[in-house]
Amino acid sequence: MTDWSESTRSAPISLRRETLRERAMDRDSFLRQLDWVLVAAVVVLCVLGCALVWAAAKPQGLGSTYLKKDILNIAIGSSLAVLAALVDYRTLRAYTPVLYAASLFGLLVVLTPLGSTINGAHSWITLPAGFEVQPSEFAKIAVVLGIAMLLAEKREGRSDPTRNDILLCFALSAAPVLLILAQPDVGSVMVFVITIFGMLALSGIPGRWVGGMLGLAVVGAFFVVHAHLLHQYQLARFQALTHNTSVAAQTFKFNQQQAGIAIGNGGWFGQGLGSGTQTNGQFVPEQQTDFIFSVAGEELGLLGAALVVVLSGVVLWRALRIARYAQDQFGMLVAVGIVCWFAFQTFENIGMNLGIMPITGLPLPFVSYGGTSMFASMIAIGLLQNVKVRSNR
Amino acid sequence: MPDRSRLRLVVLGVLVVSLVATLLGRLWYLQVLNAPQLREAAQNQQIHDIVTPAPRGEILDDTGKPFVDNKPSLVVSVNRTALDRLGEDTKTAVLHRLARQLGKPYPLLDHETTPCAYTKVPTSHGTKVVAAPVGAPWYAGPFLPCNNGLAYQPVIVSELKPTLAAAKKALQIKERPEDYPGVTVDLTAVRHYPRPEGAFASSMLGYIQLIGPKQLAALPADERDVFQNAQVGVTGLEAQYENYLRGTPGVKQVSVDHLGAVTGTVKDTAPVAGDNIVTNIDAGTQAALEGQLKDAITAARHSGFTGDYAAGVVLNARTGGVVAMASEPTYPPNTFVPSVKARTYKQLGDALGSPLVDKAFGSASPPGSTFKLVSSAGLMHDGTLAPGGYSDCPTNYRDRQNFEGENGLGVIPLRTAIIVSCDTFFFALADQDWKRDQALINQHKPPREGVQNMTRAFGIAAPGGPGIDLPAAEVAPGHIADRKNTKLNWEAHKKDYCAGAARRPKGSYIQQIDAFNCKYGYQFFPGDQMNEDIGQGTVTVSPLELAVAYAAIANGGTVFKPRIAKAIVSATGKVVKRIKAPVRGHLPLTKYEIGYLRDALYGVTTSRNPLGTAVSTFAGFPMSRVLVGGKTGTAELSNTDENGCWFASIGGPAGDKPQFVTVIEVNKADQGAVSAAPYVRNMWDKLYGFRGNKALFPNGVPPKKLPKVRIVEAGPPRHHGGHHAGGANPDATSTQKAKPTVAASSSSPSALGPPPILPARIERRAAVP
Repeated sequence: MTDWSESTRSAPISLRRETLRERAMDRDSFLRQLDWVLVAAVVVLCVLGCALVWAAAKPQGLGSTYLKKDILNIAIGSSLAVLAALVDYRTLRAYTPVLYAASLFGLLVVLTPLGSTINGAHSWITLPAGFEVQPSEFAKIAVVLGIAMLLAEKREGRSDPTRNDILLCFALSAAPVLLILAQPDVGSVMVFVITIFGMLALSGIPGRWVGGMLGLAVVGAFFVVHAHLLHQYQLARFQALTHNTSVAAQTFKFNQQQAGIAIGNGGWFGQGLGSGTQTNGQFVPEQQTDFIFSVAGEELGLLGAALVVVLSGVVLWRALRIARYAQDQFGMLVAVGIVCWFAFQTFENIGMNLGIMPITGLPLPFVSYGGTSMFASMIAIGLLQNVKVRSNR
Repeated sequence: MPDRSRLRLVVLGVLVVSLVATLLGRLWYLQVLNAPQLREAAQNQQIHDIVTPAPRGEILDDTGKPFVDNKPSLVVSVNRTALDRLGEDTKTAVLHRLARQLGKPYPLLDHETTPCAYTKVPTSHGTKVVAAPVGAPWYAGPFLPCNNGLAYQPVIVSELKPTLAAAKKALQIKERPEDYPGVTVDLTAVRHYPRPEGAFASSMLGYIQLIGPKQLAALPADERDVFQNAQVGVTGLEAQYENYLRGTPGVKQVSVDHLGAVTGTVKDTAPVAGDNIVTNIDAGTQAALEGQLKDAITAARHSGFTGDYAAGVVLNARTGGVVAMASEPTYPPNTFVPSVKARTYKQLGDALGSPLVDKAFGSASPPGSTFKLVSSAGLMHDGTLAPGGYSDCPTNYRDRQNFEGENGLGVIPLRTAIIVSCDTFFFALADQDWKRDQALINQHKPPREGVQNMTRAFGIAAPGGPGIDLPAAEVAPGHIADRKNTKLNWEAHKKDYCAGAARRPKGSYIQQIDAFNCKYGYQFFPGDQMNEDIGQGTVTVSPLELAVAYAAIANGGTVFKPRIAKAIVSATGKVVKRIKAPVRGHLPLTKYEIGYLRDALYGVTTSRNPLGTAVSTFAGFPMSRVLVGGKTGTAELSNTDENGCWFASIGGPAGDKPQFVTVIEVNKADQGAVSAAPYVRNMWDKLYGFRGNKALFPNGVPPKKLPKVRIVEAGPPRHHGGHHAGGANPDATSTQKAKPTVAASSSSPSALGPPPILPARIERRAAVP
């Protein structure tokens, strides 16, 4: 609280550059500035993730393959995180429009024949050498930075964003949201909507705007459902939570039941890593990605699964703390955006494993197998550290 | 940071905390509170049972000759779910093709493979699921066929007959798998009837069928899965001793993955073969009796009578064991294996003498004068007639003629009345009896009804029937009218009588009876008592009951609940249980009275003056070696010139207690002495080896010792190799364990035991949605 003063916040840019230089030379001091609790939580989640991905892929005989790829993803992700932590704030702001444009381009490419469909969503770009990129994951970073930049840009001397800022935000986010909706990837769209809403709300816009947006969301959801704008299978994912008996709903319900059975099968202490009978029988679909949590539930039991939940909670807590002590509006909004993104994605993913949320293709950050998701999450952690380090200077 | 933002940050924090708390709460619910149910659900998905039916126990005669054993046979099964996946058109085509190949009607095949609860009925918009219809033109059997199991279990659809023709049909299907998707051909064991000495014993043995929904529901819940494709006893001994015969199926629990591919073996219990039933039935005696019954019918028909059926019993008078029991016409014992053809069933139902009902124990009719043994005992016991007492035998008694209009003999002793079968003797006593009871009633005292009570003491028309070890539903007890049940009967049927009286053509025979019964049917008349005492009218008896009654006189008063089974012997030869005929009770007669009656029976076959009614029949029989006594019976059948002809006899080595009781009833024939007695005599000749016969029992006594039972050998270790769908051979060591009698793939019968049975792969649950 003490360092949150007007003078610190409006420190001259030259001073910041010096600090950066110092930081580069004096690594100890930089490292000391890092949020080590956050790092530790992410490291443990990644380690757990590796183990679970291995266990989930083992029955298909792909355990070590997936493990190696996952470790590689984590290594690349960590490098990206370091980069994101080290990069100059100003550079970041400067390159945000470029990032934004690049991610829009990526989302457009996905819709061309270059994109590929996995599990009903046309969300991937297949690269040579068997790599696949999911541009919507990077778009999350771009949108978080873009919105933060927009809302923080005109902050000087004012307490809250103008109506134009808000509308600009909507316009800015509309493009990627619509492109992702076209894939269609409702899960990711939900992440965007909630992240943008959270960032707007936290930017200090008037309460009537917040209320208005909430109301719009309710009306919009009602309209979407009743105007049959959702695909049948998208609707079925929600219906699976209710007692709908359509075939599609039954399939999703079956998947969710399988996840529930696997988790319940774990009991207090689990069946041991690699010995989950439901997991080894491959009863749960997409287990190394969407349903990775069910592996934790079955093989590591309540203790292991709760650890995953708690560690994800720790990540959110540290991110909130970083937002709280952020040196400027931009940093605060970036952190808040990441909190909203991670919070929704974590709750949605674990919630669908536990049968209380509809099934979507959202991965569990740091735990699910998936390169792009890992990279994006790691970059987010890097950004959080960047904000944290800055707030301490 | 503006206050508004700070506050909202707190809200966001609270939101995050509550989301985490929600997840942890739900996790607690699933992994702690709901864990038992989910764990069970997991188990059910992961574990499939492969049920190996146990070889069913054999049914053997008293010397160990099998009446029923098992024989390997190729069976054709349909996996309905696999068929359904092919689409409606292909499925229908395959079923039609299969129906043609198996030679059975398509709708029957369709029903057999459709789950029991439902059957599809075409409507204007596709098909509609409705409850199964009862009765259908293409199937006249007692049970509408349907698949008891779950839809994905293969259902056996072929004739379970170990014949060459059946095997040929099955092999043709096996050779063309592309024409028969979802259809499999396996080797299994089916019931086989070696017919020792040519004996049928069909209805006594009974038959097995695929377990019915009701029987399945009656099983404990954990056994239903194991037995849902089981063949179980439906009638006869097969049903009565089902629990012993069935054995315990082997259950191999395999773990499977989401595609149903086997990933390992969890538990593997070998099947335990069912126990064998050793019976008191002697195959030779049974065959002899069946032959005599056939001859009796043939002779009756030759003489111009209908001779619709004949039934007989040979009872071990000393033990209550049933040595032979038969009914003609009958049907081949394999008629119902695995299910009766509609046409055959209808033919059997319509045939003269209704072969489907075993008249030895399954129906009762008036026994004629054979019943005088019982009425004499009753009259003696209630004091109407002193033992050895005299009474008049007039030509007529109150307008009732003596039998066949024979002349009266004056005052004669009871013995003579039995020997010559004087009806008027009994008419007079019955009249006295009735009057005394009526006087008692007028004094508001209960009537004695001595004959009726004695009848029940003899085990005839007794509560619970004759108490034989056959399913109660197949056993018909006799009936003896008394004042109470006459009134009850009238109350129950008054409506029908009166309706009949009004509806039928006036003055016709039945109309007159109906009119009388409508008005007076509640009364027990003196005439009823008179008829009853000579075994006519309202008294009915089954040959089995009569045999039990005669056995009681033969053995000194012990009334048995007769037993067909003698012992239960396990597949390994261990005696599980010895079965003795339970004693229902003892006759309330003195030793003298029993001896007097027995002597009278001997008089019937031996006395020349007065001339016994069966003396001529037994002419030349070496009575000095084997003394046989008996009683003829001729029950006048209403509205016809034909009679129910009976002969009941006791006999054994002279100077010893009688060993056997032999009873034969020939319906719609001449007279007891003519149509039944000669065949009874033939039986005695055969039992003891007279007139060129070889004695059925070496020393004249049914074997006391149990026969050596064929031991079902534990076969050599067999390998389950390569039978698992899509999975690696899971656990070679456990499958190589020696398994008694039943294993997987080998089809060669072992040298000693019955042939091995292929496991019918019964999958309990599906894992794929």
